[in-house]
Amino acid sequence: MKHPVVIVCAGGGGVGKTTASAAFALALAKSGYTALIVSIDPARRLADAMGVELGTQARELSLDSGSGRLFGLMPDPEDALRNFVEFLFAEEPEALERLFENRLYRVLEAAVPGIHEVATISLTWRAIIEHEVDAVVIDTAPSRNAVDFITYPKRLAKLLGGRAVGWMAAIGKRRSVAPQEDKMGRVEQLLVRALGPVARDVAGLFSEMARVRQRFILLNEHTSDLLLRPETRYYPVASPTAAARDDVDYLINKLGKLGMTPRALILNSAFVPERDWIQVLEDSEQTTPAIDDVLSALNDERATRNRAASRITDSFSRRYPSLPQLRLPFLESVEPRSIVHALSKSFDIAALLEP
Amino acid sequence: MFVTGKGGVGKTTVAAGLALAAAEAEGEAVYVEFGDGAGARRVLRDRPSGLEHVVLDPSRAVAKAAAPVFGSATLAKLALDNFAMRPLIRAAPAVRELGVLELARQVVAEHPGKRVVFDMPATGHSVAWLKVARQGRELTGRGPVHDLCAKLEAELISPGRASIVVVTLPERLVLWETLALCETVEKEVGLSVDRLVVNRVPHAPPENALADAVAMSESNGAVGEAAEKLAELLSVRDAVRKQVMEALDETVHRYGEEKGGDSGLTLLPFSSTDPTARTVAEWLRSAGAA
Repeated sequence: MKHPVVIVCAGGGGVGKTTASAAFALALAKSGYTALIVSIDPARRLADAMGVELGTQARELSLDSGSGRLFGLMPDPEDALRNFVEFLFAEEPEALERLFENRLYRVLEAAVPGIHEVATISLTWRAIIEHEVDAVVIDTAPSRNAVDFITYPKRLAKLLGGRAVGWMAAIGKRRSVAPQEDKMGRVEQLLVRALGPVARDVAGLFSEMARVRQRFILLNEHTSDLLLRPETRYYPVASPTAAARDDVDYLINKLGKLGMTPRALILNSAFVPERDWIQVLEDSEQTTPAIDDVLSALNDERATRNRAASRITDSFSRRYPSLPQLRLPFLESVEPRSIVHALSKSFDIAALLEP
Repeated sequence: MFVTGKGGVGKTTVAAGLALAAAEAEGEAVYVEFGDGAGARRVLRDRPSGLEHVVLDPSRAVAKAAAPVFGSATLAKLALDNFAMRPLIRAAPAVRELGVLELARQVVAEHPGKRVVFDMPATGHSVAWLKVARQGRELTGRGPVHDLCAKLEAELISPGRASIVVVTLPERLVLWETLALCETVEKEVGLSVDRLVVNRVPHAPPENALADAVAMSESNGAVGEAAEKLAELLSVRDAVRKQVMEALDETVHRYGEEKGGDSGLTLLPFSSTDPTARTVAEWLRSAGAA
């Protein structure tokens, strides 16, 4: 299998990350790629941006023009843990049954940070193979910590790969878990004392997980293959706010720790497109007082937005002089979908994908 | 007071604004953020002396909270440094959240009688955080972890002590998600949401502007064309604003009914620059929500 181009858009909340990711994917599809847009954002913004229902199965989206294809994938966070364990226990149905009965699992089912992301990655691989995708755009969760999950499968694989599992599983196999039991080591006693009777469930969960250790290793390979290859292209996304700027700094620093360098910054609402018609109306003598008010408000608003935007772009240029910036216009529409289509024209795919 | 909401809604500014208003009204207050302190550096530059700023570092929370669970700091170190426990704690969910809640509880215990405002992490996680104490208590049944969870519930998350403020944006989807969040908080955490703050509500354009622009677009030549462009822009904004207002009305309706009259809803205006905590504190005061 030829490895797809992998693009990751990451940034803090409310910066228009999903809109930019969707526009990027649309531009890829229009220029001939079989593109897949994946949203890890638990808010249903991607479906809204594309104007269609999306879910756990990748679904083809229509293009108005262009030679490629576009698929969308937006797994439901509520099914995340189930998707995840079903992937892990695909070949161990009996262990899966036992897992569903485990008290601890039933508590975890509610919400486990990181699991939704990891589950989405395994679903992304499935979609890539199924639809022969050659470009993936991943819209990460709206948080400065959005890339933390990348090392999660590795941590899990390490946990299950080491001596730790044998140790935990041994606690689960004991007939009783009374802390005073002689054969128990010091730390075992501490753990059992701290947790009380539930220690057995904790241990049981880990021994089930240990059976499918190979699947964790596979999951870790999938994650690394998608997100940690030197060819993976990271694009931090920001909007003209100080919070978004701080989030980008934080993210670039995090990426550096993972050994990754961003390819370009995507700046949403980086300028308000010029409106020649305002001048025409200002020069005209037919305007009413209400129109005059609106025109002056529009000019003020444009100046304020542009000032805020150039403060941010300047500060990025100063701190990351060699990092290219893709500046997207501030657009207004009732339909989110039409904004995605308009923005996709700003993505020059050939230039953006230059090695 | 836990201030929560999804990412990018202006949670930090509202939390800092509430803390600032509380400090000014009550003499003293505490603003707590999780992470590196960037939030306060950004929005709370002119912090008055009565407002204390606390930064909690989640990565060190477990080690700090573990001593009472294992009996002593030495035993905690022995347990946490164990070859099997170390990877377990790094990979296990909820452990870190419990640690962070314990740090939060300590902040509250150290400031008796003062209002402590927590700037919580984005939505999904913060509900998980607030639930984790009850889940832990029910799951363990007895033992030190059980006792820790029970203490967190009693001293930090109990109704009467804790209040929840949810920050949201005037967008249909975001509002629906927020209402679902309020329901989860009330049903699963057992706390009621005291206030819903809708941030960045757009201003209404001057009356008649759209009608005037439409009339003017009848005229010939460049001026007519320009007026048509203006009419187009104004009608887009009008439609967006109507959507927002409808969604807000429905929110007030659905939310207000549960609250028995007091809608508990505060609207903050749109501002094209980043407002500071002081500006937000003034908005909140004038809306009667501080």
